[in-house]
Amino acid sequence: MRVFLAILVCKLGRFVGKLIGKGSSMPGKAALKICPDILKRLKLPEKIIAVTGSNGKTSTVEMIAAILRADGKNVIYNQEGSNQTEGVTTLLLANSDWRGRVNADILLLESDERYAARTFAYFHPTHFVITNLYRDQLTRNGHPESVYNALLPAIAPDTELILNADDPLSSCFGRGRENAVYFGLDRCDISADQPTGVYHDGAYCPVCGHEMKYQYAHYNHIGAYACANCGHAKPETDFTGTDLNLKTGVLEIDNSIKINLAFRSIYNVYNILAAYAVCRRVGVGADVIANTIGNYILKNGRMRTFYLGARHGVLLTSKHENSIAYDTNLRYIAGLDKPCVVLVIVDAVSRKYFTSETSWLWDIDFDLLNQAHIKNIILSGRYCNDLAERFVYTSIPADKWRVMESIPEAALELRREESPETSGEPEELYVVTCFSDRDKFLIHTEKEKERDKNQEWNQESNQELRQGEKAS
Amino acid sequence: MKAVNESENEKRLLFLSFYPDLMNLYGGYANLLILRRLMERLGRAVTVREITPGETPDLSDLSQADFVFMGAGTERRQKFAMDDFIRYSDLIKNLAADDTPMLFSGNSMELCGKNITTADGEIYHGIGLAGFETVQRARRITGDVYGYMNHIPGDSENTAETPYRIQIVGFMNKSGIISGVETPLLNILDMGFGNEFEKGPEGFQIKNIIGSELTGPILVKNPCILEKIAAAIFTRRGLPLPDEWPIDPWARNGYDVTVRELDARCHKR
Repeated sequence: MRVFLAILVCKLGRFVGKLIGKGSSMPGKAALKICPDILKRLKLPEKIIAVTGSNGKTSTVEMIAAILRADGKNVIYNQEGSNQTEGVTTLLLANSDWRGRVNADILLLESDERYAARTFAYFHPTHFVITNLYRDQLTRNGHPESVYNALLPAIAPDTELILNADDPLSSCFGRGRENAVYFGLDRCDISADQPTGVYHDGAYCPVCGHEMKYQYAHYNHIGAYACANCGHAKPETDFTGTDLNLKTGVLEIDNSIKINLAFRSIYNVYNILAAYAVCRRVGVGADVIANTIGNYILKNGRMRTFYLGARHGVLLTSKHENSIAYDTNLRYIAGLDKPCVVLVIVDAVSRKYFTSETSWLWDIDFDLLNQAHIKNIILSGRYCNDLAERFVYTSIPADKWRVMESIPEAALELRREESPETSGEPEELYVVTCFSDRDKFLIHTEKEKERDKNQEWNQESNQELRQGEKAS
Repeated sequence: MKAVNESENEKRLLFLSFYPDLMNLYGGYANLLILRRLMERLGRAVTVREITPGETPDLSDLSQADFVFMGAGTERRQKFAMDDFIRYSDLIKNLAADDTPMLFSGNSMELCGKNITTADGEIYHGIGLAGFETVQRARRITGDVYGYMNHIPGDSENTAETPYRIQIVGFMNKSGIISGVETPLLNILDMGFGNEFEKGPEGFQIKNIIGSELTGPILVKNPCILEKIAAAIFTRRGLPLPDEWPIDPWARNGYDVTVRELDARCHKR
């Protein structure tokens, strides 16, 4: 009876929530109040895929869902809701019949790395993808090893793990397990001989604490590591990016299939490898995956184009407190060749909780912006002084960057400026900021005419914000 | 204090940086950068000697140090550091007795105490620079900290009669509860968790040694602590203190903004 009541309340709540455009965790929360062990009482699909990690959860889940659907599977996933227990409960009850049977071939869950143990207390995934564990959201996460510790109890012995071989910390989950498979990327054009970035989280072995050596690194400390003391090393990969050219945008997997990258970012490559690996493990053919990803339009909510007067611009949403993700965006700007200007905004550190903590700025490799094609840089927002002090300690010449605390004034200045170098045509503007601050800038811009013709800017923005909420 | 002589004064300053890639959480390295830059702006050359676990340096070289620094690490890395750092107990104690300024930020502070009991009940011995003890818990304590430092000797506006004037800002990211600190760095907190309890005293200071669970670039965020350490380095070398420390206005303004934000948060303004 309690099960029925919980399902009823959840379905009703979901219906009303959809009408008024409210989030998807409240109905699940109400259902859990009525029947706290409701998750245990459901009849779940035979295959349950969970995806967790610091970065790339949402994109990977979206991609997996597209592939599974292309393969004819009935898949349900938490595409609009929170990735914590309540959101998962809403998803399951909204898709179940009155007796608690969930109608799907495959249940696909994006899972918050801190809450996975709670979510999977009553059921557990058959396949668990862990994308990576990085420094992220200090207030919530502490540090990557504390996330590792929080995730451990979420992993049941019979769950098959799909792990990133190139991340020395998350690959530890597979140590001593028979049922772990690995995805990773071989040495390719983008690889460096040694880890890059301001700090080196792969310098010492996460298992025994001895020094680790790298054969190569693709970005930061992600690559081929080995500890001579305890033997912890990049595991042999079961699903492998055998070649990658980010310039031409082609990824080769397992020496056989070639994928054209819709978005030429190393992050996208790892998301594809993770999606490829888990889909193969649940029985999808390589050709179906290749075709789907080849035709897949990446919903890249993190990148927004706009006009600021005559100036065209791109906003790269860069998560504060997540230096590796932030570095990726800086690397993207550094890799361009046309003249551009950059606006970096830190106004609110987080939109989820209060903090004035800016130490993560020192983990970001702002030296990446020391490029000839980057003509000048404006630092803006409440914490512009902290940003400026960070810039004092970069190799970027002091005359290339300036500080304008007010975001509206910075926007106005950039609107006015004319570039002498491009005969009056203003340079492209790249804006680097977080979900917490990006609307403070975007309200001063006009949406790009060619795109989003029929969409109201605000609608889209809200949707992306929700996506971002899920992702982080 | 060491005797003042010209050759001593002209000597390069030696900073020891313990385990920079191991105890490396959240920009702690910036403490060394900003202190070094400050010294260089005042005409003092600085050598930073990085010490890695397992190496066997000539201790007589290290005993010439003008400043010692260690930052924060994960709990596991902290234990790896502890296993190595114990070899330097005598060196650190001798330097301490000689008034050498030191900064142990984040959980490296715990290594200076008597012992650390892990969340699993294992006990690690600290170097015993101070008598406090740390008990780590599985649950972390994270969040902003806003507190008040003891008066600084020589600061006429901030005497022992009018203490608690200097606001300190920072971020706490620890698992340890520390008991037995007799001389805390921060006497009182308006926000955040102290050594043992919410809003209680935080960190420790003994002679010229500062320990604080505040992580990251605390010298960047708090120009007043930077000045305190710089002054201690100069005084120990017998160098005259400058009228004003050449610290970037960005750092001073950044500090003011953070104080304003945290103060408003504390007092719900």
